[in-house]
Amino acid sequence: MISAEKLTKQFNVRGVPLVAVNNLSFRVASGEVYGLLGPNGAGKTTTLRMIMGLLEPDSGYVEISGVRSTNKSFDIRKKLGLISTSDGVYPWLTVREMLMYFSDLYAVDPPIARSRLEDLVGLLDLRNFIDQRCSTLSTGQKQRVTLARGLMHDPPVMLLDEPTRGLDVVGSQAIFRFIDLLKQRGKVVLLSTHRLDEAERVCDRFGLLHRGNLQFEGTLSELQHATGKPHLVDMFVALLNTPNEMSPQT
Amino acid sequence: MNEYFSNGRFRRLCLKELRESLRDRRTLFTLVLMPILVYPLLSMALQRLVISSVGKAKAESELVIGVVDEDILVKFRAMFAEATKIVEAGFVSPILVERTSDPKNASPLQGVNKEEEDTFPAFEIVTSDEESLARGLRDGVVDLLITELRFESIPLERGASPSYEIQARFRQNDLRSERALSQMRRATQVINDYQSELIRKRLDSKLPVTVSFKATGIMEQTDLSSSIAGVIPLVLILMTITGAVYPAIDLTAGERERGTMEALIATPAPRFALLLSKYVAVVSVAVLTALANLFATWMTLSFGGLGQALFGKSGFSLWTLLQILPLLVIFACFFSAILLALCSFARSFKEAQAYLIPVMLLSLGPGLVTLMPNVQFTTTLAIVPLLNILMLSRDIMTGQSSLVPAFAAIFSTIIYACATLVVASRLFGAEAATSGSQESWSELLGRPKKRQMLPDIGELFIYLAILFPLFFVASNLGGMFALKGSWALFFNAAFLFLLFLIFPLSFAWYRRVDIPNTFLLTEGVGKGGPLSLRVGRYFGYVLGVLLLSAGLWMVAFEAYLLFESWSLASQLTEEDKERLKADFLAVPFWVVVLTGAIAPAIAEEFFFRGFVLSAFRSKLSGFRSVLFSSVLFGLFHVIAGSVLSLEKFLPTIILGLAIGYVALRTGSLWPGILLHALHNGLIFTMSRFTEQDLAKWFGADSKHIPVTWMLGGGAAIAAGVALLFVSSLRKNVNEVPI
Repeated sequence: MISAEKLTKQFNVRGVPLVAVNNLSFRVASGEVYGLLGPNGAGKTTTLRMIMGLLEPDSGYVEISGVRSTNKSFDIRKKLGLISTSDGVYPWLTVREMLMYFSDLYAVDPPIARSRLEDLVGLLDLRNFIDQRCSTLSTGQKQRVTLARGLMHDPPVMLLDEPTRGLDVVGSQAIFRFIDLLKQRGKVVLLSTHRLDEAERVCDRFGLLHRGNLQFEGTLSELQHATGKPHLVDMFVALLNTPNEMSPQT
Repeated sequence: MNEYFSNGRFRRLCLKELRESLRDRRTLFTLVLMPILVYPLLSMALQRLVISSVGKAKAESELVIGVVDEDILVKFRAMFAEATKIVEAGFVSPILVERTSDPKNASPLQGVNKEEEDTFPAFEIVTSDEESLARGLRDGVVDLLITELRFESIPLERGASPSYEIQARFRQNDLRSERALSQMRRATQVINDYQSELIRKRLDSKLPVTVSFKATGIMEQTDLSSSIAGVIPLVLILMTITGAVYPAIDLTAGERERGTMEALIATPAPRFALLLSKYVAVVSVAVLTALANLFATWMTLSFGGLGQALFGKSGFSLWTLLQILPLLVIFACFFSAILLALCSFARSFKEAQAYLIPVMLLSLGPGLVTLMPNVQFTTTLAIVPLLNILMLSRDIMTGQSSLVPAFAAIFSTIIYACATLVVASRLFGAEAATSGSQESWSELLGRPKKRQMLPDIGELFIYLAILFPLFFVASNLGGMFALKGSWALFFNAAFLFLLFLIFPLSFAWYRRVDIPNTFLLTEGVGKGGPLSLRVGRYFGYVLGVLLLSAGLWMVAFEAYLLFESWSLASQLTEEDKERLKADFLAVPFWVVVLTGAIAPAIAEEFFFRGFVLSAFRSKLSGFRSVLFSSVLFGLFHVIAGSVLSLEKFLPTIILGLAIGYVALRTGSLWPGILLHALHNGLIFTMSRFTEQDLAKWFGADSKHIPVTWMLGGGAAIAAGVALLFVSSLRKNVNEVPI
């Protein structure tokens, strides 16, 4: 389970303080897909980095299954899987070498890593190119390798950072199937995206982030009820037009 | 952290990086193809250079002969007139014919003479004083310097016979000078052969004229071979850099460009482990490149015949090669760290290249310095990164290397490499994590917001990289100001305080490191407790230290003798030693105790058992921390002014281990300071006695400490260790804070 408590992070941009995330609290349970939504610059990536322990919050903390990320970020990172659109592959390594490399980085024992690899080969259909160099793969194949990479250490929590950005319909469908798979396996899934239509399809609950503040949180019907708008897109447009006068989180 | 360094995991991480580099065509290109292309081309260019200088020597037929006075000038002209007359008369010296027809002896230098057999070349003769002519000879203005040409009568069987006696100087391995010399030899040979021929045929009733000729070659390196000796390390080093550049960019900035960086730093693997595995790969590729280039250089020089022409008869030997190789490895370690630090800072390939180009150009600067033959490899230059390795390689190739700058160059380069690696590991991935590179810089160099209990190893290496050059310069300063006696000792003590006590304390304060904890200034293990217990404990510490010092000096003394027997002792002559001892005895004993025992004990303990040991303790076990800090302690003692005291290495390490144990056991710096001061004091007391005194105590003609003494010393050490152990073993003892 992810639990973020009153996270605040401020940056200095050329001497001017900028609050990237302000007093942000939310929880995601196992088997739940939580959509962290917001326009560019809302503070989504900063939040994810604080969860991963790459950035230290100015105040507040994150707990993953009861372990605080600020204290033991190495233990935390073992529990987290990260997949983002900008993820690349190592062109000169074969798919197998790359996946085994990442299992080493997560300190997975080689025998376990090998059996998990076999598992993922079947699951994500990597059989045909598992021993090919990554530079020879198509975009779709690379995407599947990236998804496999995120699961090599079998993390209980999966962070998806804009996973469908730049993907075509087929690619996006693969991501949706992957999210379903994660859900079936009882993982905690945190999806950060600005593609609201997609979020509506896959997420169980949403948090609407704007200028570092969590403006709304809840299921789709709760949000519809609170805002009086039918779709996330409409809610966002309203949010963007009246940024500072909106009521705080429900 | 250990998870990543165990079970071959770290090896697998390195293997992945290496695999990635070596599969890349661009790496292979610089590794294999470049040496194959560059060296033959370089060799061809050098061949041309040599040939053109041969051609030049031939075209400018006016060889310059320097003579020191008018008298010699007259005799020289007379002698050559005689030789010319003989040659023009058609006389052919039988020995010269034999020599030129033997192909084995026909060197390229002699080959030039062949066409001139029936005449002598025209000489330009200059007369001046010997000093300026000698300078002219060195600079290549004068080709042969005649210092003596005597025309004497030497009694022979049939009365007095006139004879020439000539002494000359020439430049070895210089084409023009050797040619002038060979003409001179030929002239004397012709005269001698002609005379003996006359005697044999009894054609002349006059007494024969004989010529004896002695020539000394001056060892001055000629411009050509010296600058080529400078070019070769430069080319080797540039090629090593070239080999490392691509993998360094690819494994750091490349991760970012490919989009693998974020996934990488999101893993629990420590960044230092990630960077270290990349470092191992970059160094490996650089060393492979260095090997390939070294081999290609050796092949080119050996089989192209250039080696002999440039480096004398022995050529470019395999031994030279083996000496250069470790230097290239050390250099590769240093430069790979620099490359990784720069590339870790870059966000893309292009940015990395933009950072690297100025660095490559900058490294050409020192390269040009090494090409100047008059620049000596001094101790000050030995701490300048890059330049030191270049100068050292040049000196090794010309056979002029000396120990002190070599040691300083190697030691400082290793320290710089470690410090740069620390910087690189902080920079690596920082951008991706903090979305602002400024934060990583301020984290590295600025004042941290949080207090630290102990300094970390990274901070230690950064401090060492600043300290070592200062230490090295300072240890030579005393000599520079020509300080003598007490003043030199006070100066020494002052800079010890500055570098080992004041600077580390300020550094620790700046980095918000807990000073009492780092420098072991708390009451130590088992603080507090009832007064009787405390007094008992301190008594135990003091007595334990006294016992230890009673035995330790013997161990140190024997270790010193051991090193001396391996003839590793300083390169001082007996006279130097006598003089030093006399100087030393002239200093009042209280000054010696103050500056040689008390001051170093305080300053060095603050640094080595305070700062250094604590930095190691922040990551390593107590045993390893003591070991590493002692080795560092030993290394710093090897450098003493402008001499290298290798004999101090082992005794100092032993002392370091003992004090390290005391410091960790008691959790306090003070017992160690006492031990250090007592130890130094005893050693200095020993050295004030003459060898006769020592012989009186140790038994006749033995330099060694008697066995009974050693047994007593051993018992004292054992008792001291036991006492310290027991004294620090109280029920209310607290752990050493880590």
